[in-house]
Amino acid sequence: MVGIVLISHSSGLAEGAAELAGQIAGGARVVAAGGTDDGRLGTSTERIAEAIAAADAGDGVLLLPDLGSSVLSALSLLDDLDPDPDGKRLRIADAPFVEGAVAAAVAASSGFDLAAVARAAEEARDARKL
Amino acid sequence: MPANSEPASDDADTVLRIVVLPKHLHARPAGRIAQAASRHPATTVELHNGHRKANARSVLGVMGLGAVAGSEVRVLTTGAGADAVADEIVDILCAPEDDQP
Repeated sequence: MVGIVLISHSSGLAEGAAELAGQIAGGARVVAAGGTDDGRLGTSTERIAEAIAAADAGDGVLLLPDLGSSVLSALSLLDDLDPDPDGKRLRIADAPFVEGAVAAAVAASSGFDLAAVARAAEEARDARKL
Repeated sequence: MPANSEPASDDADTVLRIVVLPKHLHARPAGRIAQAASRHPATTVELHNGHRKANARSVLGVMGLGAVAGSEVRVLTTGAGADAVADEIVDILCAPEDDQP
């Protein structure tokens, strides 16, 4: 199953989104990577790398950053971890955080591959809630 | 999708079920519907609520139907096992109230 890593400046935001996505998509592997190692707001490439390792079940991992340096950290980490990207191990989704997490988690738990899970997350950009 | 397009029920091969929702279509049943529809890639599954339509494989689309308790939701399935898949989706829509979300 594709794993999902939610990257935020806020540990609470990442943990909460992971909990919600995991509840809606029973069985999904959603791991939070939020805040700094000492519990402040910020991003930590170590925490993100650990979350990727925890989420990885061999079918690839989707990174979903919230905004700002979460995106930059994810991008720089991707360069290090996947220097020759083929889109099968790691991908970053350009998607709204909560909606993208839920859509990706449902797609992953349904057995779709990494490309399809990333697409599900990015379709969240166009999803109307009203 | 245009709101006034003809429903797929005009096709002879399409199964239509109409459900009056006993509860709001919460996030969790929406997730279960998307998972169930995804288990049947050879079957097209659409939900209609009034003029709103959703591909049942899209959890956000299903949530975006805004289907509250009492809504008349139409389940349309086409393709392999359309009857059984429609039953599966109806069962989820009619399942007893579970906790939020």
